[in-house]
Amino acid sequence: MIRALKLEWLKIRNYRIFWILTIMYLLALVIIVSGGMLLLEWLKSEGADFQGINPTIIPIYDFPDIWQNTTYLATFIKILLAFIVIISVNNDITYNTLRQNIIDGISKKEYIFSKLLFIVIMAAISVLFLFVLGLLNGSIYSHVWGIEYIFDEMEFLAVFFYEVIIYCTLAFLLSLIIKKAGFVIVALFLYTLMFEPIATAILINAPYFSEGITPDIAQFFPIKALNNLISVPFGRYVFMEIEDNVSIKALTIASGWFAIYLTSIFYILNKRDLN
Amino acid sequence: MERILRINKLSKRFGKIQAVDKLVLEVFSGQVFGILGPNGSGKTTTLGMILDVVAPNEGSFEWFNQMETVEARKKIGSILETPCFYPYLTAVQNLRITAHIKKCGTDNINDILKQVGLYDRRNDKFKTYSLGMKQRLSIGAALLSNPTVLILDEPTNGLDPEGIAEVRDLIKEVAASGKTIIMASHLLDEVQKVCTHFCVLRKGKKLHEGSVSETLGEINKVEVEAIDMAKLGSVINDFPGKSSYHENGISFLVTLKEDTTATDLNNHCFEQGITLKKLFTHRNSLEQEFLKILREND
Repeated sequence: MIRALKLEWLKIRNYRIFWILTIMYLLALVIIVSGGMLLLEWLKSEGADFQGINPTIIPIYDFPDIWQNTTYLATFIKILLAFIVIISVNNDITYNTLRQNIIDGISKKEYIFSKLLFIVIMAAISVLFLFVLGLLNGSIYSHVWGIEYIFDEMEFLAVFFYEVIIYCTLAFLLSLIIKKAGFVIVALFLYTLMFEPIATAILINAPYFSEGITPDIAQFFPIKALNNLISVPFGRYVFMEIEDNVSIKALTIASGWFAIYLTSIFYILNKRDLN
Repeated sequence: MERILRINKLSKRFGKIQAVDKLVLEVFSGQVFGILGPNGSGKTTTLGMILDVVAPNEGSFEWFNQMETVEARKKIGSILETPCFYPYLTAVQNLRITAHIKKCGTDNINDILKQVGLYDRRNDKFKTYSLGMKQRLSIGAALLSNPTVLILDEPTNGLDPEGIAEVRDLIKEVAASGKTIIMASHLLDEVQKVCTHFCVLRKGKKLHEGSVSETLGEINKVEVEAIDMAKLGSVINDFPGKSSYHENGISFLVTLKEDTTATDLNNHCFEQGITLKKLFTHRNSLEQEFLKILREND
């Protein structure tokens, strides 16, 4: 396992674009997680109030809610990690080094394994980062304190970890199919943030559709399936009922997609002639 | 002799094109084996299949007595067409990846870089190299693990005359150290200069297989000239070691029988009172043989 990981490390450790993207991603995590209070204070200075409540006392950083809030926000920038995966896989294809690696003496399975391991490590680092950021922000702003609250609802970190891995595996698969990094990045970006959200929104909310079974179909869409893992938490601050657990159904659907991505990657690479 | 590679009825089809058709080959240790053929005859596809980057439709191959192919590839140094490295990494960083995959340690990276003349540029990025330097780095990568088998695909493609000479010297040097070399080429001259054995492919089919010296030595022709050409003609006509002869402008071209040499002919003429003014042994070139083989199979 260390051997597979070292192969990826040798490829990226002197690769500037990788470090730029990684730093961008980590900075984005810091901003998105720690910027909540700044946002609320800005809202306050603009004179906003929520049913007479001063925005800055909204307890977004209270344990254990903080875990769902921060992981939910962090899922929006997982696409940056997907870009790293796309570039890394695409390099091996355009420079023909995937073929060279295999000629030199690894199997296609070992190649896939080392890329997946690379994804897992990136996801693990993200989670660790989120955990530390959560603890820091929580210790500054939380109105609640105590081991039993701090370490409650940690499952959101675990689910976030899983979600990042699945999404990056999708990016891996797309880079194998499409082969042009720029095109994969644009396609994934548009699909994740525009095409599918619009399509599922229509299926769920459009008057003609919302009566039928289409809202049920929408949850099986690949991005929707991931988005359903951690649901929007902020409704609770306007006294709405929210899903504050990880739904087993969403987890099952997402795992189904994960299995499809992995099988496809193995199938495509095994069948492909590397010329 | 130990068998290094056995290819058994290997076939590959790309759509309608049968790139390799039931190819059977064996390569033994110490051979410098040339795979000859015109462009598009299936040479590169064959090498791709035995290196596991092209999936065969049928047939099988076996390295080093049924060794696991992934492990076998670690013992093989390969140079396939264009050099493939990470352009954003330096020569040393690129070779570290090769060493890691081949599990061969990084100790001799500097020595190898000196050997291929890239030591001074070892910390420059691969993308800044000229084609010749890139080619030399791939030779370095192939030699890095001190492999027992070297696979070369058109090794002198795109090199300048000096580079070509260097690569040929290197091949001979490597071959002299007892390593097995398998090389694909469409340059007959190249195969003739460095190979001990060869096969000829066309449209994916093997047309011929044999040792270079045997194939070239099969027939030998001698060109002779004397002052008295008429007498020489009758003397040659009496010579038992000839299989045929004809007049070729001002000289006679004599085709000798298998166990006869030019010395025998010279002796015969001298005994009959003819002093030769010219005696020239023709070696068949692989080019003639190659064209003959292609003709025979038309």
